[in-house]
Amino acid sequence: MASNKKYWKSVEELTDSSIVETLSKNEFVEEIPTDKFLGDKQTLENSSTSRRDFLKYVGFTTAAASLAACEGPVRKSIPYVVKPNDIIAGVADWYATSMADGYDFANVLVKTREGRPIQIMPNKDANGTTTARVQAAILSLYDEKLRLKEPTKAGEVISWADADQEIGAKLLSLSNQNKPVVLLTGTLASPSTDKIISEFTNAYPNIKHVVYDAVSEAGATEAMMAMYGKRALPNYHLNKAKTIVSFGADFLADFHGGFEKSYVAGRKPETGHMSYHVQFESNMSLTGANADKRVVLKPSDQVFALLNLYNEITGSNVSSKATPVDADVKKMASELKKNGSKSVVLTGLNDKNAQLVAFAINEALNSEIIDVNNTLNIRQGNDAEVAQLISDMKSGKVAGLLTHNVDPMYTLANVADFTEGFSKLELSVALSTENNATADASNYALPTPHFLESWGDTQFDSITYGLMQPTIQPLFNTRQLQDTLLKWSGNSTKYYDYLKSFAADSILEGGSWNTALHNGFFTRSLGEQDTFESSVSLADAASQLSSSAKKASGFELNLYTTTGLGDGKQANNPWLQEFPDPITRASWDNYLTMSIADAKELGFSNPVKDNGAINGDYAKISLNGKEVVVPVMVQPGQAKGSFGLALGYGKTFGLKEEMQVGVNAYPFYANNNNVQYGVAIEKVSGTHEFACTQVQKTIAGRHDILKVTSLKEYKNVDPKDHHHGWNKPAYVSYDHQEVEANTIDLWDEHNREIGHHFNLSIDLTSCTGCGACVVACHAENNVPVVGKKEVRVGRDMHWLRIDRYYSSTVETREDAKELGLSRGEMYEALETEAENPEVTFQPMMCQHCNHAPCETVCPVAATTHGRQGQNQMTYNRCVGTRYCANNCPYRVRRFNWFEYANNNEFDFNMNNEYGKMVLNPDVVVRGRGVMEKCSMCIQMTQATILKAKKEGRAVNTDEFETACSSACTTGSLVFGDVNNKEDKVTALAEDKRAYNVLDYLQTKPNVIYQVKIKNTNEA
Amino acid sequence: MSHYEAPIREPLVLGDKSYHDITEDIAKPIEGKANKNWYMAFYISLAAMLWGFGCIFYTVGTGIGVWGLSKNIGWAWDITNFVWWVGIGHAGTLISAVLLLFRQKWRMAINRSAEAMTIFAVFQAGLFPIIHMGRPWNAYWVLPLPNQFGSLWVNFNSPLLWDVFAISTYLSVSLVFWWTGLLPDFAMIRDRAVKPFQKKIYALLSFGWSGRAKDWQRFEEVSLVLAGLATPLVLSVHTIVSMDFATSINPGWHSTIFPPYFVAGAIFSGFAMVQTLLGIMRKVTNMEEYITRLHVEYMNIVIILTGGIVAVAYATEFFIAWYTGSPYENYTYLSVGAATGPYWWAFWSLLIFNIFIPQLLWFKKIRRSFIWSFIISIAINIGMWFERFDIIAIVLSKGHLPSTWWRFEPTFVDVGIFIGTIGFFFVLFLLYARTFPVIAQAEVKTILKSSGEFYKKRRAQGIPTKPTVVVADKEIKEVNPDKNKKE
Repeated sequence: MASNKKYWKSVEELTDSSIVETLSKNEFVEEIPTDKFLGDKQTLENSSTSRRDFLKYVGFTTAAASLAACEGPVRKSIPYVVKPNDIIAGVADWYATSMADGYDFANVLVKTREGRPIQIMPNKDANGTTTARVQAAILSLYDEKLRLKEPTKAGEVISWADADQEIGAKLLSLSNQNKPVVLLTGTLASPSTDKIISEFTNAYPNIKHVVYDAVSEAGATEAMMAMYGKRALPNYHLNKAKTIVSFGADFLADFHGGFEKSYVAGRKPETGHMSYHVQFESNMSLTGANADKRVVLKPSDQVFALLNLYNEITGSNVSSKATPVDADVKKMASELKKNGSKSVVLTGLNDKNAQLVAFAINEALNSEIIDVNNTLNIRQGNDAEVAQLISDMKSGKVAGLLTHNVDPMYTLANVADFTEGFSKLELSVALSTENNATADASNYALPTPHFLESWGDTQFDSITYGLMQPTIQPLFNTRQLQDTLLKWSGNSTKYYDYLKSFAADSILEGGSWNTALHNGFFTRSLGEQDTFESSVSLADAASQLSSSAKKASGFELNLYTTTGLGDGKQANNPWLQEFPDPITRASWDNYLTMSIADAKELGFSNPVKDNGAINGDYAKISLNGKEVVVPVMVQPGQAKGSFGLALGYGKTFGLKEEMQVGVNAYPFYANNNNVQYGVAIEKVSGTHEFACTQVQKTIAGRHDILKVTSLKEYKNVDPKDHHHGWNKPAYVSYDHQEVEANTIDLWDEHNREIGHHFNLSIDLTSCTGCGACVVACHAENNVPVVGKKEVRVGRDMHWLRIDRYYSSTVETREDAKELGLSRGEMYEALETEAENPEVTFQPMMCQHCNHAPCETVCPVAATTHGRQGQNQMTYNRCVGTRYCANNCPYRVRRFNWFEYANNNEFDFNMNNEYGKMVLNPDVVVRGRGVMEKCSMCIQMTQATILKAKKEGRAVNTDEFETACSSACTTGSLVFGDVNNKEDKVTALAEDKRAYNVLDYLQTKPNVIYQVKIKNTNEA
Repeated sequence: MSHYEAPIREPLVLGDKSYHDITEDIAKPIEGKANKNWYMAFYISLAAMLWGFGCIFYTVGTGIGVWGLSKNIGWAWDITNFVWWVGIGHAGTLISAVLLLFRQKWRMAINRSAEAMTIFAVFQAGLFPIIHMGRPWNAYWVLPLPNQFGSLWVNFNSPLLWDVFAISTYLSVSLVFWWTGLLPDFAMIRDRAVKPFQKKIYALLSFGWSGRAKDWQRFEEVSLVLAGLATPLVLSVHTIVSMDFATSINPGWHSTIFPPYFVAGAIFSGFAMVQTLLGIMRKVTNMEEYITRLHVEYMNIVIILTGGIVAVAYATEFFIAWYTGSPYENYTYLSVGAATGPYWWAFWSLLIFNIFIPQLLWFKKIRRSFIWSFIISIAINIGMWFERFDIIAIVLSKGHLPSTWWRFEPTFVDVGIFIGTIGFFFVLFLLYARTFPVIAQAEVKTILKSSGEFYKKRRAQGIPTKPTVVVADKEIKEVNPDKNKKE
């Protein structure tokens, strides 16, 4: 440390010492004794750092360094340098667009924040509806694992220019040689794209366009073609119906895209109009669960029952067979005839003849419900052409295959034939959003953008022309099908310009493009309908149908699509995988549903394990030489002799390991028939671990949780009647008098006179259990995904769940007493579900109790009551004792057992940069160890209040919304301010159907349920 | 000092102890070397403790998810263990405070260890409310500390907050009480210590006790005052713990009889644990002549009494659940639903260990048998654990909405932490047994002449009880034929 250098701090100090002296006098009271330290040369030279000093320095620096390291990580947020015109930070922009992914079609609104789409909601002006899958599609946009990012040739990245040049040259040479090429797409339902494709096929006459639907409804389109001369699906206006008879048509879910909105519109007990709905079906479907009467019938018998009904109605005598339910069929026939044109018959059998018979019945009834003029275009798949394509490929007749957003290598029943034919192709090009098995096998894989990044137009029914617009810059190096085809056709127009002029020329009838784009849709006039002379012979159709059904043997397999995964396009979407099936409440799985009777005979069961989870046995099912090992879920209401198995699962290519769940049922989907006869089953060893969010299936005699009554009682009986009332309040004993529980109170009321007071009304009559609200809540509130293992042990994080209850073998304690059951037997009877149970759905979220049990028990006051009625959760303050959750009678509080974001153990959307883009910036991502729950979307209500305040007005009537209420297709969930007398919810809160769950506890919830009314004629 | 005591009362100190003998006996484990058994027990306990600490670190580092809890069952082993340990801690105060006020002399042989057990048990109990939190690093938020977070304050409505006060008060009063009693004994050890370091330590621990009359007077006064202060705590602590459940709205928890029932249960389990510990300790530290059959019998009588109260409480719970006719009471932890449901084994364990087995104590032979008392005490410890487990797990497993019915299965971490606290408890107790005077020798000396076997016999024989000199003592020994007879 020796030194004799002179140190100076400024030039002045070096040259003019007088200034320095003056300054130093001002600056320091004392001289700094530098001389003392540095002046004595000898001391300096002799000095050294001792061991002790060294240790001191090491100690200090280590401590300082580690202290400095304790600082939290800094995340920089960079403001806009040049602010884009249409983006105001913190203010959401909504765009109207359309979703069309080949299976799900919807007119939607997309919420974007700072340029990122974060939520999809139905475009209600366009009569749009959303399902769980449509809601969840927002997350598939950010699927960095599955999406194609760059154009590739045999797996190597290639530039668009090179790809265009190479493919263009090849197409040209194939065209010159007149070798057939096929463009295989899913249903596009896009007029402009159809035009582009026809121009493309005109430019290359050797190219043929084939439409392929993974899950086909070609039976109905073929029947429509034969009977009405239109390749389309009929529309059903169920809101006008008085009687609905369905043979396995799951029309509240995926049958023809779903009709739940019009169905529920026709079931409003307060208006007096309520359709009577009878469902004959084998699988317990969402539709069957909602039916007034559900008749269990295996698929082959459904055919005969349909024919018997046809005979009854038309008086004809086509060949059929007796079924166990002929009495019901007879009764329905007279019911249908009585209501004549106000009744309708549907069938879900994907069979041209079955559909023809149903059409004929509707014709005979002169049904106004079925609409064959304003038809649906959402299933255009042509099974015959697809089958022809495969055989042509196999025989080497096809030279080139261009696929667009289809994955036949996963979805075809005869993949082997396809693959064989595929290897004989000279050119294979996959234009695909996802990197699927087909894209991987193709010579060229060209990424197409997600629908949220695309321009486009849609035509789902005959009058609603929808527009699709990008809501974000493309995330990857993608190009739309339309642009690609235009380019390959030698047309240099951009698709956007093409679309604009196409719409202006052919669609908008002189209307403004900007208005149409703003609205997201344009309503066209239906136009003249051509008359069509049908030459179809119904007798032939009926006899063909009957003879094919008579061949039925062995077990019958009814393939279906689940509410969560549909045809499996979004199998890599963690929200949908974690979404519990509305019926079985199982997530992350598909399974063979089996009737209780068959399960008993074949030795299958679903024991509940000590950790609360359900296990299942494996079955090997085989059909036509194909076999698969699949876990069995015993399903009450399943027809004996039939099984159900969901399509859309078991996809593996390109999926994250966690998402590779379930078994692929497509190999059994021979001839695109959703019913397969002659299935053999065998129990095999092994135990499957299910992840169900609900284990107990019945209400266990606690009928004040779930109130259900019949339309007749609703009309004729006083709801509060002491004996027969269908909405009796809870009574308590007070001063030895029986009084209504709500007349006495332990607590002081909150003052609700000023400001808003939010209520949420849930109509159990209207709720079909579709679960769109569950996913909407996921998206709005950044609810984490926890994975199969955690769901299995009861740790799903859903703020909003839909409880599903089956009726039990004995419904009430009184019944049990009459039957003379002992107490133990009574409990068992109340806990055991009936073989063909009635099903009730009950959305359950934080009830926002005005006397909340959770609020009193939190030691740190982390959960408190809001001025507007909400029960609020302060995450920052929560220490995580979970006392609140234990004291919540509704068990709606969810605990962060682990860190769910930025944790490789939970490698879902909150663990990668793309997936995090979907997070709602208005809602904090909760850390480990804190409790969370439904907030009544306080970020949305506050935004509404602030908006009104800025605009200097009062909040409008019914302006308040939550994510669940705006996602609700059927209007079951109604949110609003009960301090505003005009708000819809105010009347609902006072309705005679209104009740609170567990009202005997007097928690005084701000969530109100409306008693479920069923139109059970027999009752 | 010595009061008259009826000759029919059994002696509380066996053998012909002199004051010096007592000193020697009590000081021996501290001054001597530990045997192999002690080391073995210590290392096993230490290993269990370290394993438990490992599990605690794992929990704190990873998340409560490493336990077996779920959305529907927010507490299980954590709070079970908490209540179990708090309950065990109850006997100490009862023995030292309530029995002091009632002038029960038999307490003197056992109060020191009972209080030690109390304090160590409360340590274990206190761990759980902290580690069961999702964010234990913020545990201090449950204290009403002035802070700069804004207007944040604790919620005085919450029974958990009452717990914080109850447990901390209990721990501090128990600790002071215990230490006060220890002062003369520490001083005794100090005075006998030969190693300077040991002397220094015990000098510190004895707070400069000098043995003057004034010291003794103050000692007696403080003891009495503290006993008065501690007596309400015997009732309050478990009353408040029971309110964690009783003030909630879960069927099976929401029960007005919980406070007295929990207090009785706590004393029940506390005495059982004292039996367990002393059963071992009297052998290991050769205290057989101080902790006698009579002590064991008296404790068993307390166990029968409190066990009876608990049994009546169970019966009441069962009856009321049935009598309400409410479907929500079908599955409370004492109901037909619980007896036949998935937790039938826990239900029957509770009844067998807590109700049926303790009934054996009605037989005098069993009540006065060391080995039977030991076995029954273990059964009660298990039974009382099940009581808390049943109350928490069974009730939470069948909540109001059937859709939320679930089950609990512990993970290795749940088990590890529980075993860890048992290890921790025994580590503390074993260290205590080697370094603290395990019997309040100063107090025992006060009853030697009234309740000592030798003196009682002499009184019965009409021989003067004041031995004049040691020589005389020897002479008497010779005329005492029972002197060397062992039981």
